[in-house]
Amino acid sequence: MTEITIFGRGGQGGVTLAKLIATSYFLRGKHVQAFGVYAAERSGAPLQAFVRIDDEEITNHNQIREPDHVIVLDRTLIAPSVQAGLKPGGWIILNTPDPPDAFVEDFPGRNVATIDATDIAVTNGLGTRTVPIVNTTMLGTVAKALNLSLDDVEAALGDLKFGGGNVTSARKAFENTVAQKLKGKADMKAPTAPKGRIAGILDADVGQMPKIRTGSWATRQPERQRLTPPCNHGCPAGNDVRGFIEAASREEYDRALAILLETSPFPGTCGRVCPAPCMEACNRSPLDASVNIRELERYVAEHGKRPEVPAQWRKERIAVVGSGPAGLAATYHLGRLGYRVALFEGGGELGGVMRTGIPSYRLPPDVLGEEISYILRQSVDVHTGRFLDRSDLLKLTHEFSAVFVGTGLQDSRTVNLGNADEEFVEQGIDFLDRARLGRVRLDGLHVVVIGGGNTAMDAARSALRVGARTVRVVYRRTRAEMPAIREEIDEALEEGIVLDELASPLQLHRDGEGVVLTCQRMRLGEPDESGRRRPVPETSEDAQFDLRCDRVILALGQTSNVAILPEGSEIHENGELLGLSGAPMFAGGDFATNEGTVTAAIGSGRKAAWHLHRTLTGENLFPPPAEPIAEPDAVTMHLFKRSPSEQSAMISPVERRRTFTEVRRGMIDSPDHHPALIEANRCFSCGVCNQCDACIDYCPEGIVFRNGDGYRFDYGYCKGCGVCASQCPRGVIYMSEL
Amino acid sequence: MARALVTGNHAAGHTLAACGEANREARGCCCGAYPITPQSEIIEFLRDYEFTKGRTIPVESEHSAMGVCIGASVAGARSFTASSSNGLAYMTENIFAAGFYRLPIVLIAVNRTLGPPWNIWVDQGDSLALRDAAWLQFYAESHQELVDTILLAFRISEDERILLPTIVAQDGFVTSHTQMVVDLPEQELVDRYLPHCHIPHRLSLEHPTTIGGLTWPRETEHHRREIQTAMEQVPAVLGEAIDEFEKVFGRRPHGMLSAEHTEDAETVLIACNTMARTLRNVVAERRERGERVGMVKPKMFRPFPRAELAAALSGAKRVGVLDRNHSPGSGGIFWQEIAASLQGRSDVLVQDYLVGLGGGDVTPQVIHEIIDDLNTRKEAVEPIWKEVAA
Repeated sequence: MTEITIFGRGGQGGVTLAKLIATSYFLRGKHVQAFGVYAAERSGAPLQAFVRIDDEEITNHNQIREPDHVIVLDRTLIAPSVQAGLKPGGWIILNTPDPPDAFVEDFPGRNVATIDATDIAVTNGLGTRTVPIVNTTMLGTVAKALNLSLDDVEAALGDLKFGGGNVTSARKAFENTVAQKLKGKADMKAPTAPKGRIAGILDADVGQMPKIRTGSWATRQPERQRLTPPCNHGCPAGNDVRGFIEAASREEYDRALAILLETSPFPGTCGRVCPAPCMEACNRSPLDASVNIRELERYVAEHGKRPEVPAQWRKERIAVVGSGPAGLAATYHLGRLGYRVALFEGGGELGGVMRTGIPSYRLPPDVLGEEISYILRQSVDVHTGRFLDRSDLLKLTHEFSAVFVGTGLQDSRTVNLGNADEEFVEQGIDFLDRARLGRVRLDGLHVVVIGGGNTAMDAARSALRVGARTVRVVYRRTRAEMPAIREEIDEALEEGIVLDELASPLQLHRDGEGVVLTCQRMRLGEPDESGRRRPVPETSEDAQFDLRCDRVILALGQTSNVAILPEGSEIHENGELLGLSGAPMFAGGDFATNEGTVTAAIGSGRKAAWHLHRTLTGENLFPPPAEPIAEPDAVTMHLFKRSPSEQSAMISPVERRRTFTEVRRGMIDSPDHHPALIEANRCFSCGVCNQCDACIDYCPEGIVFRNGDGYRFDYGYCKGCGVCASQCPRGVIYMSEL
Repeated sequence: MARALVTGNHAAGHTLAACGEANREARGCCCGAYPITPQSEIIEFLRDYEFTKGRTIPVESEHSAMGVCIGASVAGARSFTASSSNGLAYMTENIFAAGFYRLPIVLIAVNRTLGPPWNIWVDQGDSLALRDAAWLQFYAESHQELVDTILLAFRISEDERILLPTIVAQDGFVTSHTQMVVDLPEQELVDRYLPHCHIPHRLSLEHPTTIGGLTWPRETEHHRREIQTAMEQVPAVLGEAIDEFEKVFGRRPHGMLSAEHTEDAETVLIACNTMARTLRNVVAERRERGERVGMVKPKMFRPFPRAELAAALSGAKRVGVLDRNHSPGSGGIFWQEIAASLQGRSDVLVQDYLVGLGGGDVTPQVIHEIIDDLNTRKEAVEPIWKEVAA
């Protein structure tokens, strides 16, 4: 009879190794027995498995106490005690990168065979990188030491349906095993287990936490990290999107609003008009639908209470030129930093494009007005009604401690439509401003809008509202490439606007009956530098078509007028203008970046304020480099139930066509339905702990504890099983190797 | 027969499946399934088995698992399940029902200590606690005996003279989780060995009837006496089943009780399950030394083979019972039965040894010490707690 003892840890496959060895001999016609000493199947717990091999039927069912050979699967278990009871001449087979003679002190006079099975197993992808499974690899070394052949090894692996990397690994181990008899005299005295008093059921320590410091079994341990949620990363204004939603999910709307106001003074505005790149980035979208962040922001702006404005002012005064989103955001953040601001606006009212370019059915003027008046509660002198020129700007650099220029995009792009009469063609931005002021009617007219951005949609929808009979939008690419907010396109189509995709205007001309716009059919070609596929003209004979119309509105985008900047200056990457003699001057918003959204301009204004503050004081308010983004695979998606996204209430398309009343009414609470609360609770909180307690609930050892806002792991008893990491819904807990 | 290297649980699962499948041309088979360590691999095996006619039904508790077996059996299906320890405890109400309904269900009990304190290792207390439930009980010492006894169990249980359910027990882990070489029965042979399951009192739509309703005391007493009568016929039916087994499978399994070297033995040790195998090796060693030591292995515990045991011990002076179970306030449960079987005998000393409780490893050394102790005794004392190796 040959008896073999295997020392390993739960999860390493020791019992399966016993079966593999037994199978090798079984296939040679021997009687065999393989079994493990089972405890509560605890991952990482030291365990033993046994193999008996004999020519006769085996009738002994006892554990093996005097083995012929021993095998150690885990380096941390290699100790002189494994040779207890080992018969003379027996092999000690070790999984270790060290050669046999490294163990001459532990196992003098013994036959020792070694192999770095862990390395071979990892290389061949057996188990996981953090928990390699070494049993099949070790079979090769066992075979080498016990004079089995590679054929025996492969037969046993095949019989138990182990293939691929297992066979490669076992063969590699067979070939790379180092075996030798170590110098010295073998220690034949088996150590005896200490005998202590055994606790009774009425003693306090029965069934309680084991006094064994099981943390010593661990090969990995959980750590906590913070990742950047993709929504936060995607927000051009720099909002802590996840943070405000978490506050909203706890119905703490004042706190939620305060979080938004840290970065943006316009939550009510952005909650209506932002294209919401945060929602594009939302990890929830592959599961069911993105969290409706835009509506939540609006809800919070409407339900939170704005905090009081600080009233301590520095001596420095800053000039801000332009009162669009960038200028107002810069004013707001400068005010928060204690600067007094003089705000210069060329038009009659503050708000820039937010007021003149966004129709009131999307952004009611009183919402904007309220947000602006909150900014004006700081120390702001407002100067309206005069556009500044280059010399004015230069003057400001000598009167103020610093100057910010955020004049936006003042010049509209146009297109040459031939000799058409100017009276039929109008710029979208101008049209929107006139429509807002009630200075235009298009009753009964057929209107064509050219362009695919938000201005085009706004112009088209406003045209309907001022009486147009039909409105068509002509766009060079397809609907999918339109830069306008998706929902706005949807709403426009609902209202009856017709979209002519893949059409480019060529010429406007009169015939006997009226005005005709001739268009060229387009198709999508190769992607251009923006990544969008470039429209190219169709070449077929019927590639041109005519649209009869009474009015053409151009919405082809705007450009900045840099002529107001001082001569010789250039905009530095952080917005600072170099080459000036006076006070520092910064540029921001669309004027400097041409990003084209309110949200990006808000972010730009804030950054300019911080740059400016750093230039004046040396204090750096920019946060350290952000943590890595929480990619979709950081979220444990199966832990979340699918649930539909809550939507804003809307007025009907028929009603919409007649009025500039706001289309979206926001998320409306009823006694039995709180859509905003439901929506806030749909947030995954990607990469940021929200104290959901899943780690506490699922830890099989009970060693995770609340610790302030976070958690503490008792590493003394953590065996590194990884259940907390696998049950963390949001990728906060990860396993690090020890 | 197919020689295979498998665990005891795998062997049991394979055999139950083959027995269930053997009823495919009659009313099929059914397994009510609920897992518990150390039997879970049995019902996992059955869950994955694709029966021609029959199925494994996962339920939410052991109580329901036996409920499923009762329902299926009362409809005529060959029914079986497995459980252990506190799972058996929870199943107990329906275990009694199955017995008193006289449904030939087969239950594999993988013996495990009843908690608390929680312990997953072998102890026969869980199935022995069911001794009064009108079930036959067999204890298998090896993988092969487990396989063979399951085959016998269906044959006896379903015999019209018996119509009682059977527990076949094996040691948790010591056999359930140990890989051993075993002959697994081929389907064709099982088909030959097991007649179609015929339950005469099964419910049917053609003959609507009720079983197990309210009865008066005299009817109940009559019912119990019928069960006793059926139990008394088990030895004969078992003998026939073994004869037939030998014809079909070509080997002869142990009967209800095996007496080894008892003819001239003054000292006789009694043990079942894997302890009996260790005991057999120790007895062989003592015999080689010329000592008159023998052993008895009672494979069948219900009905208890009193007469056969008394006969086997007729020449013994000292009897040592190895009990891997404990009835608090009394002692070992085998010891109680054995002592009762020897009533009136003043020439024999019966000593109980409580050994290997909670799964302790009963080594040859431990049994040697027990024999040495027994040989020095002049009279029996209260059951002795015999400590084993750690």
